[in-house]
Amino acid sequence: MLKLVVRGIRANLGRLALTLISVVLGVAFVSGSFVLADSLRSIFNQISEDAFAGVDAQVRAVEPELNSSGENLIRFDESIIADVQALPEVEYAEGGIFAFEQTYSLLPDGEINRPLGPPVFTSSWGGPSPVSSFTIVEGEAPSGQQVALDSSQATAGGFAVGDMVTMSLPTGEPEQFQLSAIIDFGDGGTGGAYFNLFDLDTTQRILDAGDVIDSIVVNGGSTDADALLTAIEPLLPADIEVVSGETVIGEQQEEFGGFIDIFGNILLGFAVVVLFVSTFIIYNTFAILVGQRTKQLGLLRSIGASGTQIRLMVLIEAVIIGIVASIVGLFGGIGVAWGLKQLFSTGGNSFPDGPLQIQPRTVIVVVLVGLVVTVLSAILPAIRASRVSPLEAVRDGGRKERSMTFRLVAGAIVLLPGLVLLALGMFGDIDGTASRLTSIGVGAALTFIGVSMLSALFAGRAAGTLGIPVEATRGINGRLARDNASRNPQRTAATATALMIGLALITGVAVLTASLLATFDDLLDDALTADLFVYEANQGLDFSSSVVEQLDALDTTEDVAGFAIVEMFVDGEVESVTGFDTATGTAVINPGIVDGVAELSERGLAVFDETAADRGWALGTTVPVEFEDGFTTDLTVELIYDDRSIVENAFIVNRELSRQHVQIDAVAFVGVTFPDGADAAAARADVETVTNNFAQLTVQDNTEFQEEVEGQVGQIQIVISGLLVLCLVVAFFGIINTMALSVLERTREIGLLRAVGMTRSQLKSTIRWEAVIVSIFGALLGIGMGLLLGWAAVIAIPDSFISKVGIPWGSLVVYLVVGGVIGVIAAYFPARRASKLNVLDAISHA
Amino acid sequence: MTATPTTAAEVTWAARADSASKVYGSGDTEVHALRGVSVGFESGKFTAIMGPSGSGKSTLMHCMAGLDRLTSGSAFIGGTDLGTLNDKQLTKMRREQVGFIFQSFNLVPTLNVVENVTLPSDLGDGKIDKDWVHEVIETVGLGDRISHRPNELSGGQQQRVAVARALATRPEIVFGDEPTGNLDSRTSAEILDFMRRAVRELGQTIVMVTHDPVTASYSDRVLFLADGQIVKQMEDPTPDSVLDTIKSLGD
Ligand SMILES: Nc1ncnc2c1ncn2[C@@H]1O[C@H](COP(=O)(O)OP(=O)(O)OP(=O)(O)O)[C@@H](O)[C@H]1O
Ligand SMILES: [Mg+2]
Repeated sequence: MLKLVVRGIRANLGRLALTLISVVLGVAFVSGSFVLADSLRSIFNQISEDAFAGVDAQVRAVEPELNSSGENLIRFDESIIADVQALPEVEYAEGGIFAFEQTYSLLPDGEINRPLGPPVFTSSWGGPSPVSSFTIVEGEAPSGQQVALDSSQATAGGFAVGDMVTMSLPTGEPEQFQLSAIIDFGDGGTGGAYFNLFDLDTTQRILDAGDVIDSIVVNGGSTDADALLTAIEPLLPADIEVVSGETVIGEQQEEFGGFIDIFGNILLGFAVVVLFVSTFIIYNTFAILVGQRTKQLGLLRSIGASGTQIRLMVLIEAVIIGIVASIVGLFGGIGVAWGLKQLFSTGGNSFPDGPLQIQPRTVIVVVLVGLVVTVLSAILPAIRASRVSPLEAVRDGGRKERSMTFRLVAGAIVLLPGLVLLALGMFGDIDGTASRLTSIGVGAALTFIGVSMLSALFAGRAAGTLGIPVEATRGINGRLARDNASRNPQRTAATATALMIGLALITGVAVLTASLLATFDDLLDDALTADLFVYEANQGLDFSSSVVEQLDALDTTEDVAGFAIVEMFVDGEVESVTGFDTATGTAVINPGIVDGVAELSERGLAVFDETAADRGWALGTTVPVEFEDGFTTDLTVELIYDDRSIVENAFIVNRELSRQHVQIDAVAFVGVTFPDGADAAAARADVETVTNNFAQLTVQDNTEFQEEVEGQVGQIQIVISGLLVLCLVVAFFGIINTMALSVLERTREIGLLRAVGMTRSQLKSTIRWEAVIVSIFGALLGIGMGLLLGWAAVIAIPDSFISKVGIPWGSLVVYLVVGGVIGVIAAYFPARRASKLNVLDAISHA
Repeated sequence: MTATPTTAAEVTWAARADSASKVYGSGDTEVHALRGVSVGFESGKFTAIMGPSGSGKSTLMHCMAGLDRLTSGSAFIGGTDLGTLNDKQLTKMRREQVGFIFQSFNLVPTLNVVENVTLPSDLGDGKIDKDWVHEVIETVGLGDRISHRPNELSGGQQQRVAVARALATRPEIVFGDEPTGNLDSRTSAEILDFMRRAVRELGQTIVMVTHDPVTASYSDRVLFLADGQIVKQMEDPTPDSVLDTIKSLGD
C-alpha cells in the first residue's frame, strides 16, 4: 500500500508541491515568530547582563503606589551615596540620576537629532568604573559643561570630540556643551538608543531636580552578595531599598521579555490566521485529488482494498506532506528570522548581534502544527475516498456530490454558533474588551467555515452571474470561462474561501481604521477648540510645565491651558486623573459639560457622567483624595462632563492643586487660542519661538493634528495589512493549484477546443477569466464578510475609542481589483501549461 | 443540388498530401508512421481510408487536418501548404477550412447543442449562416434538442452533433477518425447516410477512417493503407468488394 502512496505522491508532485507551499508559508511564519522572539530575548538578556555586569547591588526608592512621573524613576536624596561609599564591604559606589527623553543634541540647523524609534536617554555618568556599562571610544569622561554622546548619535550629528554641541534641555533653554567623549556599550553600539551623559551635578541641574538621585549602583569587590545587602540595608530610610544585581538584571529581562512576548504573540496570531487559510487550500487539494482518482480508488476497492485502507492511504499521503512542509517551513522560518535580525542590525541602528535561538520547543511545536493542520484538512477527503464504491471503477464520470440539504444543514450548524459568538461579542453582556474580541475572533473563524460551506450552495449561480459581463465582452472565451467557473460550485467555493478570509480580514482592518478616523474627525470638530496644540508627538511624553507659562506670557496668545496626567487615590482607589487649567481649559477643549461650572475651584473635582452615575455622585458630593506626596484632602464635585475623547480620564482636578503635589511638574499637552482676528501665522511664529527651545515638541493646528493622526493610523493599518497579505499569498497559491488541477481534469476538452479552432491566446484568456471570476467571487465574499466583521468590532470596542462606523469605499474598490489581479496572475502558469499542450496528446488523454 | 461530374482535367483537390512522411521518436524507438504518402482528396467526394491497426491512418488524417506536422513532404488544404503556417494560422485554418469528427468526446460538456455546433465560428469572427446551422441540426435530427447539454444526449446523438459541427462552417474538407466506431449499426447507418447526403447534395468533401467494410461502402472511394503507405484504392465500393480487398491484402 505504501507503494501506492508513493506512486500517488510522485504522480501528483506538482500539485502537492503547491499545497506544500501553502502549509510551508504558515509553518514558516510560526517558526519565524518563535525564532525571532527567542533570539531577541536572548540578545536583550545578554544586554541586561552586560549592562549590570559589575553591579552587585542597587539602592533605589521603593516603587510607591502612586507614580505620576511615568517612565521616570523615583528620586531620593543624594546624601546616602557617601554613607554607602563609606562601608568597608563596598569597593565602589556611584549614585546617579537618569531620565527618559529629556535632552537632545541639536543638528547644526537647529533640528532635533533623534533616532527613528529607539529612545534617547539622559544620564549622569562618573566615567569608566566597575559599575559602568559604558566604555569610552574616544575622549574623556564629561565634567562641568561637557557631554558624552554615543557613537551613533555623534555620527548622525557629525560631532567630533572637542566640538561644541547645542543640547535642548527640559528647562527650555538650550545650552552649549563640549563633547568630551564618544561612548558606547562594552561591545560597541547602543542598540539604536541615544545616550547623553553628563556629570552628576550637571545632570541634576539640567533636569531641574535638586540634589536628588534615583539609584546608587554598588560593586562589592570580593564581598559576598548577601553580606553586601545586609551591610547596606541599615543605612537606608524607610522608603529606600537595596536589591542585588541579579534582581535588577532579572527585572530588566522580565520587562524586555514582556515586550518581546507581546511582539512574538502578535506574530503568532498572524501565523495562526495564515495556517487557518492554508487549511482550506489543503482540504481543497486533497478533495480534488481524491475526486480525480475516484476511478482508481474504485478499482482498488473492487480488487479488495478495504475502506479503511483507502482512508489510511490518503492520510499517509497527508502525513508525508505535513512532515515535509513542516521541515521546509521550520528552516524557512529560521531563514526569515535570520533575515529580519540582519535587517535590524544593518538598518543604521547598530542593533546588537547574537546567535539565532532555535529551541527544541520551536522544532516540536512547528512540526506538530504543520502535521496536525495538514492531516486535519485531509480527514474529510480521506473519509470521502473511503466511501468510494467498487462500482465507481466502471461507472463513468459524474462523481456524486453531497446533497444540498446536507451542506445546508452542516453549514448552518457551523455558521449559527459563529454568528451567536459574533453577536455576543458585539451586544452581549461580556466584561472586558479582550473577551469581547475573543468572542468575535472565534465567532469569525466559525463564520468563515460556515460561510465557506454554505457558499458552495450559491457559488455556481454567483459565478454564473459574475460571468455575465465577462461573456458579454469576451464572447465565447468569456462564455467558457463563465461555465467553467460555475460548473463545480464546491470547488469554486473552496478556492474562493482562502481569498475571502484574507480580504475579509484586510477589509475588517480597513473598516476599523476608517471608523477610528471618522470618530476622530468628529471628535476634533466637537472636542478640540484650540487654535494650536503643543505636545511631544514621538512618544506622547510629558514635558516641562514652564512651556505653559512661557506661552501664556506671549502677547499673541489669548488662552493657554496645560493638561497634566497624575496618579492619585480617588475615594480610596488609584486613578489616573487629569490636571486642568480651569480658567482656560474649556477654551481649548470641550469636555461636554452636562452640569456644573467650567471653572473648578482649587478644591473642585470634575467627574465623567457615567462614573458619577456608577458611584452615585452628584454636584456637591465631597470625595476624599490622596496625592503622590501623601497630601490628603476632600474635593467637591463641581462639574459633570460626558466627552472623554480628549480628556481620557474619568476625573479632572485643578492643575494649580495637582502640580504642588507631584515629584515632577510636567504637562502632556498644551492648547493655545489666539485672540479674535489675530494673524494666525504671526501668532504661530511667536508660539514657535518658545517651543523651538524644546526640541522634542511639535506644534500643530487642527488640520495638521488630524493629518498626523491619520498618518499614524494609516501606518498601523499598512503594517497589519502587510502581515495579512500573507493570507492573500496563500490564497494565490490555492488558486494556482485549483486552476492547475482543473486544467488537468479538462485536458481532453482543451484538446478538443484547440482542434476545432481555439487559438492558444484564446485558451489562455478562457482560463484567465475563469480564475478572475472565481477570485472576484472570493473577493466579494471577503469584502462583505470584512464589512460585517469590521462593523462587529466597531460595536464591540468602547464608544470612547470608536463610536462611528466608517466605510472605506475607495479601499474596497482597490481590494476588489486586487482580487481580480490575483486571479489573473494565478492563472498565468496553468494557462501557459494548458496552451502548450499538444492537441493530439490532449485529446487522447485518458 | 447534384454532384458535379468531373473529368480528370478539371479535378480540384480539397486536400492533398505530397510525399508525406511522419516519424515518431528517434533512434531505437523510431517509428515510421507514414512513408512518403502522396494522395489527393477530390472536392465533393466521400473517401474512406482503411488499413490494419497501426498502419498510419490516424496519423495521415491528423497531419492533413493540421493537427500535427509532417516530418517531411507537404500537406495542402485547398491551395495552402500547411507547413508554411504558424500555430495561429494553423488554428485559424482548422477553425475555418476543416471539420473534424473524433471517435468520441467530441463535445464541450458545458455547451448545449447549438453552441457546440457554432463553437468554431464563435471562436472566430462569429459570422455564420444561422439558417444553415438550423438546417444542419434539423437534418441530423436534433431539431428538438438544440438546448440540451451533451450529457443529456445518447452517444449516437452526440456523434450527430459532432457531424453537424463539422459541417456547420461549410469547411473545405471534413475528416472523421472512426466517427461511427462506437455506435450500433443502425445509428451508424443514419449518420453515414447523412454524411453521404452532405457530399451528394451539398458538395461537401469528407474523408473518414474506418475498419468496417459496410461503413466504407458508403464512400465513393476507398484507400487502403499498410505500413505507412497507400497500397490500393478502389472506386464505388460495396461491403463485399471491400472485404475481398482486405482479404487479398492480408495474404
Ligand atoms: N504519438 C506517438 N508517438 C509514437 N508513436 C506513435 C504516436 N502516434 C502513433 N504512433 C505510431 O505510429 C504508427 C501509426 O499510428 P496510427 O495511430 O496512425 O495508426 P492507425 O492506423 O490509426 O491505427 P488504429 O487503427 O489502431 O487507430 C503506430 O505504429 C503507432 O504506434
Ligand atoms: Mg487510428
